[in-house]
Amino acid sequence: MKLSTKGRYALEGLFYMAIATPDRAVSIKEIATGTGISAAYLEQIFFKLKQSGIIRTVRGARGGFIFNQPLSEISVGQIIRAVEGSLVPVKCVESLSACTSRVRGTCISRQVWVELSDALARAADSITLDRLRTEWKTEQEGGMPR
Amino acid sequence: MKISTRGRYGLRAMIDLALHAEEGRVPLAAIAARQDLSLNYLESIFSALKRAGFVLGMAGAQGGYSLARPAEQISLQSILEALEGDLSISEELDAGTPLRAFLKRHVWDAIDQEVEITLRATSLAEMVERIQLQASSADSSIL
Repeated sequence: MKLSTKGRYALEGLFYMAIATPDRAVSIKEIATGTGISAAYLEQIFFKLKQSGIIRTVRGARGGFIFNQPLSEISVGQIIRAVEGSLVPVKCVESLSACTSRVRGTCISRQVWVELSDALARAADSITLDRLRTEWKTEQEGGMPR
Repeated sequence: MKISTRGRYGLRAMIDLALHAEEGRVPLAAIAARQDLSLNYLESIFSALKRAGFVLGMAGAQGGYSLARPAEQISLQSILEALEGDLSISEELDAGTPLRAFLKRHVWDAIDQEVEITLRATSLAEMVERIQLQASSADSSIL
């Protein structure tokens, strides 16, 4: 049940912005350098993040990407959904008609997938960029890593 | 982030087997028919489940499969792990950057933990109980 690199890199890119450049526009190139992710790949990912309204672009010489929402309102769940489309590991959870089984109406396992999806969403939606930034700062200041 | 057909069909078949445990050994063909699954595919899944110690198989006219342990002692987590491998949502990473290591600890491991708690808390026996309860309250005939 692996997350795609898209989801992972989206979070890494945004997390870099949150800790390094929370208040100014930043270029893809700088994020690429800061994270070690290819600029071309980040470009694709950030296009989707922009579409979803998490970030916006600023034009001009000091242009680039800037957050479009408060960090306290941007959750890991929202970021993954923005680039992967969904956080649900089995399609029937979102739409029973996505299942082609003849016995889908009396499915004995769908409840498991619903609960699994709930657990994923619960965990991912509870972690915000703001909280991660605070934890990062604490660790950088010599706090004990968990 | 997906559960494969192997994990999905395998778990469904295991719940079906547990639902019919009282009838004695359950032929795979019966599970295949009830669950609308390919018998060939089920055979390959059940040989893995047998190797992993979840089911006992018996050949012959009266043959079929039964649970190797009481359903109370089989968690959904253990079945899915046997079928899917490690359920972690993050890839095994090279040491990577400090940023990446931080996110692994604070995000991906935290999500994995929530998933594991949920799946470990539910046993096959509990699934059977819930399904029977639903069936009796809906007065349906899925059993």
